[in-house]
Amino acid sequence: MNLVTAPALRRGLGLRSTTAVSAGLAFAAIDYLGAVTVAIFVAGTSAWLAILVAGLLCLLAAFAFSELNSLYPTAAAIRLYMRNSMDDRVALTITFTYMTTIILIIAADAFIVGRAVQYVLFPGQVFLSLPIIAALIGLAVAANLRGVRMAGNLQEAVTYGALAVTLVVSVLAMALRGFPLSNPITGLFGAGSNPVLAVVYGVFLFSAFEWVTTTAEEARRPSLVPKGMFLSLALLYVGTAAFTMALTAYFPDHGALRAVPYPQLVMAQRALGAGGLVAMFVATGLTAMNTFNGGFLTASRFIYAAAREGNLPRALSRLNVNAVPWMPVVALGAISLTVAALVYLTGAWLLLVSVGAALEATIYAVAAYCVIMLRRRRPEAVREVRMPLGYVTPVVTLVVFGGLALLAAFSDPNNPSGFSIVPVAILTGLTVASALYVTLGIPRLRARAVAAAPRRRPSRLPPSGS
Amino acid sequence: MASWDEIAEALADYQQSCNQNQRLRRVQRDWSRLINFTCLDAPEITFQMTVVKGEITDWRAGQVGQHDIHVKATSEDFADMFWGDLNPSKKYLLGEIKVEGSQEDVMRLDAITSIIWPDV
Repeated sequence: MNLVTAPALRRGLGLRSTTAVSAGLAFAAIDYLGAVTVAIFVAGTSAWLAILVAGLLCLLAAFAFSELNSLYPTAAAIRLYMRNSMDDRVALTITFTYMTTIILIIAADAFIVGRAVQYVLFPGQVFLSLPIIAALIGLAVAANLRGVRMAGNLQEAVTYGALAVTLVVSVLAMALRGFPLSNPITGLFGAGSNPVLAVVYGVFLFSAFEWVTTTAEEARRPSLVPKGMFLSLALLYVGTAAFTMALTAYFPDHGALRAVPYPQLVMAQRALGAGGLVAMFVATGLTAMNTFNGGFLTASRFIYAAAREGNLPRALSRLNVNAVPWMPVVALGAISLTVAALVYLTGAWLLLVSVGAALEATIYAVAAYCVIMLRRRRPEAVREVRMPLGYVTPVVTLVVFGGLALLAAFSDPNNPSGFSIVPVAILTGLTVASALYVTLGIPRLRARAVAAAPRRRPSRLPPSGS
Repeated sequence: MASWDEIAEALADYQQSCNQNQRLRRVQRDWSRLINFTCLDAPEITFQMTVVKGEITDWRAGQVGQHDIHVKATSEDFADMFWGDLNPSKKYLLGEIKVEGSQEDVMRLDAITSIIWPDV
């Protein structure tokens, strides 16, 4: 038998790619609305500080995911971390609830891009937004069903392009105003500000950076995943902080931003005229390309895996002739369209940010919990990356993000007081539905799967005549 | 622990089942990969499979050339998997089968089992 040392994978991801994957999943069109939510809760041009604090907190979460990723470098990622840290029913409930984040992001991006297209091409005809949103989601579903995927290089170009355009437009806009600084530090703590909520929503600007852990088996070296996350946080900080600063410079009355579903277009148009409008329109389209490609791909493959594992009906794992799990793609499109239509009809687009922020903060707290539990359960396991300072940082991460999740769940940027029970009601509904399904539905599916399991291996077959 | 002979017997059956399944060939028509396999409990057992446009054209002991996917599992799991007695996804999600490769390739690899043996 030949024993030849196998070389590295032919298609391994380098640092540029892991950074792009992390930043690309995080930098969606909804981030422009995320910037609005931060701006609403700060005065002057102090948004950079709230986003910086949020970024530093996300750095803690990145360390947690890096330690978990070094322990389990697999695409199963968060599913495996949780399964090994807690009761599987709890893990599945959290997983299914967490996956709704992707639906929210797809729906939000469809809504934002739909409104942006209407604003640029059909100004004043708001009623056309809904058909445009439906057409966008329909196109995304059709492309995904045909197995159309962005090539790796194109995906990187789209991510870096969207960030670069946003940064350049924002810096130019600020330059035209002479880089105005109005209470750049004290504005975070002054009258009318809410520094805690500003940080809560700042965290949302970085959310989904951790999904790069699902590419652990593609990276040329395991260490490239943590490095990619850290670099992506830095890039996201620069891009989103610059944009929020420009936004607050052009909208001194931050509360007025609540009524604008395409703040990036209005700001760029005010600052740079038609050229700025077109540039940000392109950037918005690029972010949507990432969402419609990566979001559908990630969610449909997750549903496929869950169905194959026996946790969802087996029909959801059926592939079409293009090797695409077609039922999850169609279902995602239908649910996203429903959510986007509800957002359009209610005008409560900032509510998506609250729900998304609560879900993301929860998952960061869960990651810290997994770090703590796995250190106790598998103390001997080798970890290339560890959260620093022993148990201090995981416990701090768990407590801080647990608190931020609660705050986000009880807040709504649409409400001037910031308080609302709507997000927590939505999240409770999702969690209860997940828990009921996990408790009542999955045992039946698994019982059926066991009954159907065949035995073909000759050495496992019972002796003939028995 | 399964021997190389047992795994080879399973591989021969697996190749035949795959190549005779027209639906699988159609679904995987754009999928060509060189796949390495290593037994975690018997590192001396390594083997390789070549898939060209969904057809398993070759499998052999040893590993030569630059691969696209690397699958690591116990010899028993490999034998069970190639006989269709094991759901690779379940083992993968338990962390007992490790796959180096893209997420798409992981799914494509699992899809072979799910199409040939839909009840597994």
